[in-house]
Amino acid sequence: MKRLISLTVLLLTLALVFAACAQPAQQTTAPTAAPAAKATEAPKQAVAPTTAPAVPTAAPAAKATDAPAAKTTSAAPAATTAPSAAGQAQIQFTPSAPGKKGGKVTAAIWQEPDVLNPLLSSLTVTGEVTYSVIEGLADVDPNGNYYPRLAKEIPDQSNGGVSADGKTVTWKLKDGVKWSDGSAFTCDDVKFTWQARMTANVGVIDTVGFRDIDSLDCPDPLTAVVKYKTIYAAYRGNFGTILPKSAGDPTKMKDWAYNTKPLGTGPFKVDEFQRGSFIALSKNPNYREQGKPNLDQLIFRIVPSSEVAKQLLRSGEVDVMWNNTEADYPELQTIPGLKISDPVQNGGERLILNLTKPGEPSDNKTPHPILGDLKVRQGIAYGINKQQIIDKLLFGKALPGSGEQNAGFFNCGVAPFPFDAQKAASLLEEAGWKVGPNGIRTKDGQPLRIKYQTTTGNKLREDSQVLIVEDMKKIGVEFYIENQPSQLLIGSWANKSPRKYGNYDIIMYTTNGGVDPNSQMTNYFHSSSIPSEQNQGGVNYSRWNDPQTDKDITEAAQIVDLNKRKELYCDAVKRVVDGASHIYLYQRRSIQSARDYVQNFQSNPWASAFTWNAQDWWVSK
Amino acid sequence: MTRYIIRRALQAIPLLLLISVVVFALANAMPSGLMAAYENNPNISKEDLVRLQEELGLNTPAHIKYLNWLGNTVRGDLGYSLTERRPVTTILAERIPNTIYLTLVSFIVSLIISIPIGILSARRQYSIFDHMATGFAFIGQSIPIFWFGLILIIVFNVLLKNPVTGRPLLPGGGMYTIGAPFSVADRLQHLILPVAMLSVFQVAQHMRYMRSSMLDVIHQDYIRTARAKGLRERAIVYGHALKNALLPVVTVIGLELPTLVSGAFFTETIFSWPGMGRLFVNAAGLGDYTVLMAIVMLSALLVIVFNLLTDITYAFLDPRIQYS
Repeated sequence: MKRLISLTVLLLTLALVFAACAQPAQQTTAPTAAPAAKATEAPKQAVAPTTAPAVPTAAPAAKATDAPAAKTTSAAPAATTAPSAAGQAQIQFTPSAPGKKGGKVTAAIWQEPDVLNPLLSSLTVTGEVTYSVIEGLADVDPNGNYYPRLAKEIPDQSNGGVSADGKTVTWKLKDGVKWSDGSAFTCDDVKFTWQARMTANVGVIDTVGFRDIDSLDCPDPLTAVVKYKTIYAAYRGNFGTILPKSAGDPTKMKDWAYNTKPLGTGPFKVDEFQRGSFIALSKNPNYREQGKPNLDQLIFRIVPSSEVAKQLLRSGEVDVMWNNTEADYPELQTIPGLKISDPVQNGGERLILNLTKPGEPSDNKTPHPILGDLKVRQGIAYGINKQQIIDKLLFGKALPGSGEQNAGFFNCGVAPFPFDAQKAASLLEEAGWKVGPNGIRTKDGQPLRIKYQTTTGNKLREDSQVLIVEDMKKIGVEFYIENQPSQLLIGSWANKSPRKYGNYDIIMYTTNGGVDPNSQMTNYFHSSSIPSEQNQGGVNYSRWNDPQTDKDITEAAQIVDLNKRKELYCDAVKRVVDGASHIYLYQRRSIQSARDYVQNFQSNPWASAFTWNAQDWWVSK
Repeated sequence: MTRYIIRRALQAIPLLLLISVVVFALANAMPSGLMAAYENNPNISKEDLVRLQEELGLNTPAHIKYLNWLGNTVRGDLGYSLTERRPVTTILAERIPNTIYLTLVSFIVSLIISIPIGILSARRQYSIFDHMATGFAFIGQSIPIFWFGLILIIVFNVLLKNPVTGRPLLPGGGMYTIGAPFSVADRLQHLILPVAMLSVFQVAQHMRYMRSSMLDVIHQDYIRTARAKGLRERAIVYGHALKNALLPVVTVIGLELPTLVSGAFFTETIFSWPGMGRLFVNAAGLGDYTVLMAIVMLSALLVIVFNLLTDITYAFLDPRIQYS
């Protein structure tokens, strides 16, 4: 009897526990794809597998700060007045009302900055925090146009900022800018930044661009003359962060107090960085824009995962959350009073097809036995149901992949390859691949069997592989999966990575081009970028070798007229799409979410931080 | 006794060396080391990767790296963190108090709850109370602790609101309200959920130990003798039985003490608690081997010390035990 009673009590307790947990538990388990996807999908983060520049003058492709013209007069354009791109709505982001003063916004981040000195940090999340503290000379707005931050204007040849040979860039600095401690910002700080970046043996992470600088002179406190050794196309984004010369002796950088409490010119200053817990920023009283920022405080809470961040967003303990994915939509949409800002990103997930015969390394002259045939490649492209992937795995929120330039000024508006299984089948028939007894096509006794690889551990990718393998089976093509960890699959030439060696059939991953198409197009599609023993840094993994594409890309880099350049790039983009050397699957969004009382909150797919316009935020509650 | 302690201390040296070799080898063999993190960052160029490897000493052969580390550590220099770029000692000094603050409170809370329940459970074996306590112990020991933490957040932060202010009932993380002036009430509020999460498992475990060890003792002959000579139940339990029953529990507790310093991985991570556990998880994720080594070696040292202390305490508590 006693046993019976205690058993009942036990069961009741259990039932209560589960009842209490049932609903929330569902909420936490629903978007299971999210964390996995984030690991490698997060925009501008792990996404683009080391796209090392093939041309010495080009910046890494994924850096959202590329500028025109690789090899010649860089004079150019895209600056502040780029005409609106056809077919792409311009994002409205200029703050309307002056806004209410005061209040604080708490943002959840689920990675912890290692150090707040941008020279020493290797984590993307650091930029989210320091963006509103440490300013640079220029950055990119949500429409993909450069705008000046500490500079008066973006230098180019039309305003005399760039010399005729393209090697000398003259930055005019804004007048009366002060560091948050009240001292004046001058050209000396710009010079100091260059010198600090180039200091040896302190572990500076990124010296791209700076190492191409021959000299930096300050003819007067508000003019910086930068002389590059060769033309540096991405000069506009070069000085993305400026350090104060008061930061200390660069050779003792690792002991700088600046590393945890950086001094900047931005709308906010760092009050406290408690490791493992939070970073508290407060209003910079010396900020150059009158009456800004509106907020008194901006807090970054370091939380363990995006799941926890979503719960805190729901409870109202945080107001803003960093970096959502499409898989977060169902849950985000159940949070009352939440707004989601999700402009599309340039580039996207694609299949990269190897056009040459796989080997160790591949012989770049011999075509691939199967994928060397254009009809087979196009057959595969027609056979993939992109919308199904988007609907089933991305909650209908992504766009079907179209081509390389699909956002910003250089949006080519290429139509996505339509899904047409019949057309796919007939193309394969034409190519001589006949359906065999087991439903798989064969030609000369060879089955139509293709190795299909991506990085392991990414649920979204693995799920989409399953759908694509099914699609292929329906048109008589056998895709077999052989995934590898990202370090192996997309590693270096020295590690004999399949991508570099051309020892693969099809690889799937994401890469995003920058504001200006030059480096992405040159890296991925110019024949001079085909990786080989002599050119180990090459990024043209598909081994796309088309004289017209080469001509377009080279020519586009040598002219100033924006519309003409766009025409040339778009011709190249179209050739690549029609040639199905890359098959574009889906184009993702840069998704940031905030409670609706955070005014002027706007995701910027080109900037390195969701806090890019935090000086305009205000709280209406 | 002194000789025994000296011998044990000397024995600890090769053991620590062995641990350091193994951990160092493992930390350096991680495929997701610091360089992997750099290589996955599209903003870091190939040229910079090569330079960084050189500057951070990452391509020094492992055995040289180990000897350097050993030499510095013996001299009390734990080196610089490769990611935070600060001395490891500074980092540890920041974290250890936070961790002890959390773990000690939950440790005490769990002892206050579990010991009486264990005793009561044993005295009234097979009563409803005993069954409920046992049932709780099973739940406490078997629920995944990180899941339980998330549930605590959902219930007390998301679902339940403070009826007066309309804000979440309890904070969902952190040690205190950021930017607010120091207040004991605020600190305590922030303690409740992490302590609950951490002590649920401890209570369940300690209670089971206490119960079974008490049961063991209660059925011994000398307790029967005490009963036979008509002692009051209270005197029997607290005067005779408890002392002996506590012996094994002390052992268990003694062996748990090092975790007070090495931290609680899950709890600290879920509740954004700036302690050692979180530091360890972060350092492991980023391949920061200097920090990793410091934490592991500190934990190893503490385990050895507390093992020794437990053995010594044991000798005091139980006169039958002799060390020579």
